[in-house]
Amino acid sequence: MSDMDSFRLETRAWLEAHCPVSQRQPIVREEQIWAGSRSTFPSEDARQWFEAMRDRGWTAPTWPTELGGGGLSSEEARILEQEMARLQCRPPLYDMGLWMLGPALLTYGTPGQKALHIPRIVRGEVRWAQGYSDPGAGSDLASLSTRAIDQGDHFVVSGTKIWTTRADVADWIFCLVRTDPDASKREGISFLLIDMASEGVSTRPIPLISGESEFCQTFFDEVQVPRDNLVGELNGGWEVAKELLKHERKLMATMEVITEKVDVGLVDLAKSRLELSDAGEIADGDLRSRIATHLMHADALHHLNETIYRGMKAGQLDPALPLTLKYIGTTEQQRKDELMLEILGTDGLAMTGTDSVEQERMVRNWAYNKAHTIAGGTSEIQLNIIARRGLGLPE
Amino acid sequence: MMILNDEQRMLRDTIADFLAKESPVDALRALRDQEPELAWEPSLWSGLCELGAPAVASSEAEGGLGFGQVGMGALILETGRTLCASPLLSSAIHAQAVIRHCGSPAQIERRLPGLLSGDTVASVAIQEGSQFRPAPRGTRRNGNTLSGDKSLVMDAGAADYLLVSALDEAAQFCIAVVHLNTPGLTIQSQRLMDGRQYGSVSLEIVEVEEWLEGEAVEQGFTRALDEATIMLCCEMLGASRELLDRTVAYLQEREQFDVKVGTFQALQHRLATAYCELELAAASVFNALLAMDKGETVLSEHASRAKALVGDILQHLSNEAVQMHGGMGVTDEMDIGLFLKRSRTCNQLFGNSAFHRNRFATLRGF
Repeated sequence: MSDMDSFRLETRAWLEAHCPVSQRQPIVREEQIWAGSRSTFPSEDARQWFEAMRDRGWTAPTWPTELGGGGLSSEEARILEQEMARLQCRPPLYDMGLWMLGPALLTYGTPGQKALHIPRIVRGEVRWAQGYSDPGAGSDLASLSTRAIDQGDHFVVSGTKIWTTRADVADWIFCLVRTDPDASKREGISFLLIDMASEGVSTRPIPLISGESEFCQTFFDEVQVPRDNLVGELNGGWEVAKELLKHERKLMATMEVITEKVDVGLVDLAKSRLELSDAGEIADGDLRSRIATHLMHADALHHLNETIYRGMKAGQLDPALPLTLKYIGTTEQQRKDELMLEILGTDGLAMTGTDSVEQERMVRNWAYNKAHTIAGGTSEIQLNIIARRGLGLPE
Repeated sequence: MMILNDEQRMLRDTIADFLAKESPVDALRALRDQEPELAWEPSLWSGLCELGAPAVASSEAEGGLGFGQVGMGALILETGRTLCASPLLSSAIHAQAVIRHCGSPAQIERRLPGLLSGDTVASVAIQEGSQFRPAPRGTRRNGNTLSGDKSLVMDAGAADYLLVSALDEAAQFCIAVVHLNTPGLTIQSQRLMDGRQYGSVSLEIVEVEEWLEGEAVEQGFTRALDEATIMLCCEMLGASRELLDRTVAYLQEREQFDVKVGTFQALQHRLATAYCELELAAASVFNALLAMDKGETVLSEHASRAKALVGDILQHLSNEAVQMHGGMGVTDEMDIGLFLKRSRTCNQLFGNSAFHRNRFATLRGF
């Protein structure tokens, strides 16, 4: 048996032994385990599952063991992923630090920064928020005016950040700030880590069309930030930001995995709600055909991910290929949401006050997922990148 | 894209070089304008056979080259890029698969070697009428004779024999092996818009050489059809990729209003979305080839998903390519029109996207 085969068997046995049955079903948003000092566990099983994974470093499977990570190779990590998918294990931990800051910090952080922050991210002790966009910046991320004035051993930060996900419960925030107002747009930016408990930090939630308010606006009023919290070079923050955005793009492409998975398949929903022919087929041929198209795309997206993985392993990956994932993944998710809503008919018009939690969740998700083709680089920005970098069309 | 091993990559490069020399798009133009009509250029077919092309997928145990279905898929994809006209799809892929999956051991032993070497060419007659439906309706067995009408039979007039799907007296599915020179068999050959030859086959109490029959034949026939469909998808992927590459190259050069046309975001986004859909379809086709190489025998879902996705993107890209080439796109001087026309026949062959979406939905139980 190869090393990988024995790793697979060991992993399978370990997961069987440590993942409680209640944690082996598609995740719903209320039961996600978020990192942070203010987080609570939705159940005792959830705590047990999280702690088992945390103690193995498998909340961050590929990060180095000396920093608390799992130390797995990418091949081993993929096996872990496959085995978790096979058992339908829920993700043990949700955190922006885990998905985005951590990988960037491993590349650009000082030894001190890594030693301080990485283990706490792996253990889920700190919830991180992302402070990138200034109000009005939109897709033009570098047009930011939140200022950090260099005072030698510390910076003084003033300004405001928008779309900071759950900043109201975050412990720390990673921020892009302007440290040189005279340099060109991308060159005067630095990357700072800011403790949300610092004096002068405040937040205000932004109500969304889904009825939730996951995003906040965060205000900085002359906040003192120690110089040790600067990641990368002074005025070199854009480079760090780009590295981090790469991880965000990857994340958004697999959004379905991360966000709530509605445990009602499109087909089951359609068959339970719509008129069927004598042969048991959806009678509305138009809707049936569009459901078929969506399912084919969903399968094909899975095949595309497989192809990319195989290509990477074989060292013959067309670099244009991964650029497509965010656009395809988010577009397809919205297509599915629209089909769900259409199948629900007029029942799908009620966002609250019905007796079906499940149905309300679907409708909320339909509205919520509109953000996916906007956040993390809009679809239009993705298409620009695909056209220019992928296809080689002129700027 | 397809991920190939070293041998498969060498095979692909060899074929690409061969096609660039022996079968560029101009070769199709020459074939199209030739009198009397040929289904394919004999020297091109013998060149492909010398390379072993008809035996690429077949296992070494069977007397083939053992590159697997992924190897054959990569080869067929290249033929799509140059619109290479040959009996690879009709005979080396489809007829071979029918013999392999429906024949008795004796029939396989007798018929497969000729198809593998390319010395023999056979074609499969399925369709009746102008809409593709895989089940035979009007083609009937009576004793040892066959009667009925088949349409859109690839390369029929130039084949040695036909494999004709039919129903026997008990309405059971069977396949007749019919030689071309048999009395009662008439083939009306027609060059369709893609420049290639198809036959309308009329059978009037035709003596059948032998039957492929038995319980497993219908299932085997479906498997063979699904395999051929997946291979056709490879050709269609090659054509799609070529259309995209040619259009990108044109937009990089063509100037209007003192700038390259390719700088226009409206055009960039259209090509970028087409690229995304093309790669989605390609991933599904690649996955289908892998499934075949893994030995999966039920391929219908793979085939229908691949054909619907590839059919849609090829149709879309061929239209976009014509539009983005502007006035030049509608002239016969440009090759784009040849791809446009090939795309339409490919879409009809083995069922169009609508047919396969419907089939996919049925297979998935809705």
